[in-house]
Amino acid sequence: MKTDHPVKPAYLLRAAGLTKRFGSLTANEGIDLEVRPGQIHAILGENGAGKSTLMKMLYGVYEPDEGTVLMDGEPAVLYPPSRARAKGIGMVFQDFRLIPAMTVLESIALAVESGFALRRKQLRARILEVSRKYGLAVDPDAYVWQLDLGQRQRLEIVKVLLAPGTRVIIFDEPTSVLVPQEVEKFLDMLDKLRKDRYGILLITHKINEVLACADQVSVLRAGRMVYQSDQVDSGDGDKLISAMMGEKTLNPVTKQGMHGEEREPILQLKDGTIRGDHGEPVLEGVHLTLRKSEITGVAGISGNGQRELAEVLFGLRKLGTGELTIASAVMNDASTKEFMEAGVTFVSEDPIKESVIPGFSILEHMILDGIEAPVKGANIDWARAQKLLEDSEEARALALADGSRRADQLSGGNVQRMVLSRALIRKPDILIISYPSRGLDIGTTRTIQQQLIELAKQGTAVLLFSEDLDELFKLSDRLVVLSGKKLLGPYDTHETDVSRIGERMLKGESA
Amino acid sequence: MKQQAGAAALSPANGMTRGNRWKPAALKTALMLAPFVVFGLFLLFHNVNPVTLYISMIQSTFGDLYGFGEVLLKATPFILTGLAAALPAKAGLVNVGGEGQLAIGALFSTWFAVFYLDAMPAALGIPLMLLAGALGGGLWAAVTALLKVKGGLNETITSLLLNYVAAFTVGFFVHGLLKDPNSFNWPFSPEIASSLRLPVVNGTRLHVGILLALVLAAVTWYVLARTRLGFRIRVIGSNRFAAERAGFRINRTYFWVLVAGGMLAGIAGMIEIAGIEGRLRASTGVNYGYLGFLAAMMAWNHPLRIVLTGFILGMISVAGNTLEIASGLPASSVHILMGLVLFFILGSGRRSS
Repeated sequence: MKTDHPVKPAYLLRAAGLTKRFGSLTANEGIDLEVRPGQIHAILGENGAGKSTLMKMLYGVYEPDEGTVLMDGEPAVLYPPSRARAKGIGMVFQDFRLIPAMTVLESIALAVESGFALRRKQLRARILEVSRKYGLAVDPDAYVWQLDLGQRQRLEIVKVLLAPGTRVIIFDEPTSVLVPQEVEKFLDMLDKLRKDRYGILLITHKINEVLACADQVSVLRAGRMVYQSDQVDSGDGDKLISAMMGEKTLNPVTKQGMHGEEREPILQLKDGTIRGDHGEPVLEGVHLTLRKSEITGVAGISGNGQRELAEVLFGLRKLGTGELTIASAVMNDASTKEFMEAGVTFVSEDPIKESVIPGFSILEHMILDGIEAPVKGANIDWARAQKLLEDSEEARALALADGSRRADQLSGGNVQRMVLSRALIRKPDILIISYPSRGLDIGTTRTIQQQLIELAKQGTAVLLFSEDLDELFKLSDRLVVLSGKKLLGPYDTHETDVSRIGERMLKGESA
Repeated sequence: MKQQAGAAALSPANGMTRGNRWKPAALKTALMLAPFVVFGLFLLFHNVNPVTLYISMIQSTFGDLYGFGEVLLKATPFILTGLAAALPAKAGLVNVGGEGQLAIGALFSTWFAVFYLDAMPAALGIPLMLLAGALGGGLWAAVTALLKVKGGLNETITSLLLNYVAAFTVGFFVHGLLKDPNSFNWPFSPEIASSLRLPVVNGTRLHVGILLALVLAAVTWYVLARTRLGFRIRVIGSNRFAAERAGFRINRTYFWVLVAGGMLAGIAGMIEIAGIEGRLRASTGVNYGYLGFLAAMMAWNHPLRIVLTGFILGMISVAGNTLEIASGLPASSVHILMGLVLFFILGSGRRSS
């Protein structure tokens, strides 16, 4: 698979002075970077620090405005991605680009095979070989839509490994979709890749992983490299965080006096069956109670009914059987509007698809849901709405971008800030919130976590979906686990621990 | 965020934008002219001098009051059926049914004019006839809307297919219940009372319908751009998931937007009867719905721009007659030109604003 080079430079890829501008915004400036064979180079940085831009330049999605890339001792043009791939650069994206109706084998063939005929047998053998070698369990005949996120990621990795000539692999936030047990396996796999002398670029914002596996680390801030080191010691955590954050200080998240007492239930789901998009039962026999002033965390591997459960609790999906009540009113057939009137607010798990309206400004998004629209004749009083937005503490705390900016041009993190401040502004009685810290940097994550706690203190019942177990434990009073069509728990967060919850996520009730 | 802004301030990255500014404008002009160049090649192939032909086409449309009146006359239904496509389009729906909605609007207004409004004074009769047209178009669109909202059927398909049903329905009436008893068996309706005819500008056939079309275009624009209702419509059209999550009643909006579009097309049908033809024929307003759809596409569904694109299509239609006289090519050759215009406009991509 891998080619040996007669003249071996110490690096596989060396970037010097890479600069990329978008109009007046400089996303990357003068970036130097080296990828060496058999080393893991971690790239750290907050949202908008320019990590994705840098990776997209290396994978040929963007053409650098300035700077050079050397491979094999010669200048290399990586734009467009087909050239980058031909030079042996592979990328495992955060949002997998897969076709649900294809099998694993077909998806891989699409990326790997050239020529007219599809040689299934041969390809299957190669897939199985790679998956055995690196511990990447995938079933070649499974359909993509059947796979959970972890499996999809393994499929993407196999794809990259089987592509001819791959020697540099870029991982974009790879562990964000994995449960703790899977993270360990993933790190083992990285280690094997390192031993086979692949050059690895690992984009992440999880310091622990960097400390656990990286050989080199670079920190980006505001488009520049602010820290680079060829050594990573276990005690470097604070140093790295301060390099990422710069002048800003990190607020600790504190949660006090919330444990113990039984609080008044506000939302109750009894013996509920929840169906998926094709009418198939996704969750059965669900009992769930949300209480005032309490944060209930929902753990589980993605795709175990999180989306469906959240949608049922906001009237976006009809409950199959069972009974749903909010403050003793039956809500089985209620519309979304009625749920909103009952005090429920919802933060969708996919805000870019489900919340962002192309061409609409942030202010217009805030009016939709959040800021109560001031009326002026038949129109909305936009000037007053703008004022309300500027005066909003929540928006300020989350450093929401300017209200006039178009939401579809914001980065993922800024979209997240927008939907979160919108939800917080409403001061809801019940908040259904999915993946609040997805795509957010440490500073903003802590702010939002603290705000959720404050909201709960003021009486809001919060249902928190998250893939980050640390977050769930830090915030929740109780945890429930979605696994194997069941909702397990609730478990008191003070009486269980991360590994027990992780076991239940993987194995269900038997664990 | 703060940091990004800081980086932006440091970067000297404004140099390249200025040099590129003239480029989009030049490209736009080229794309506007391109269809005329291509059509010119076609003309050359037929031994017609394109330059002299274009000049005579312009003279026939802008040269005198009559010609200009004809252009406005043609533009009127295009603007209204264009709005009938554009308004639902803002809610994310494709209404290809302007054709049928216009036909049924014409049928309703003729029916009312012939049987109920015959003896009424203009001040009462014309508005009632207009309402009848709007009612007809609205009801026809309501069929599509109900199928969409209750049955989940694709409105593009149903509205298109109902165009044929509408055409045959009009045929059914002008051959039967609505046939003029004194027509010597020709299939058309009796003539409506002269009091119901729209006032006309002296020396032309131009009637006040164009004013109505302009007003309705302005109203449509105002509703969409400046009201809460319009805001909701645009949200639904741009991202229905977001609208759902904001608690909007999407189906209700779908229904009323389609019906409102049908009413606009129905009014176009009424104007054809009361303004030009005076009686309903099977051929009344044929193709106007499709040309209006074209006008809406050319304007990227912007209600005020539809006035302009409707006018351009009116101009090309009128020029078709000149083309026949001046070059001997059939008048329908202008459809080639219309097709090319649309082709290049669509090819220029989504609005660059």
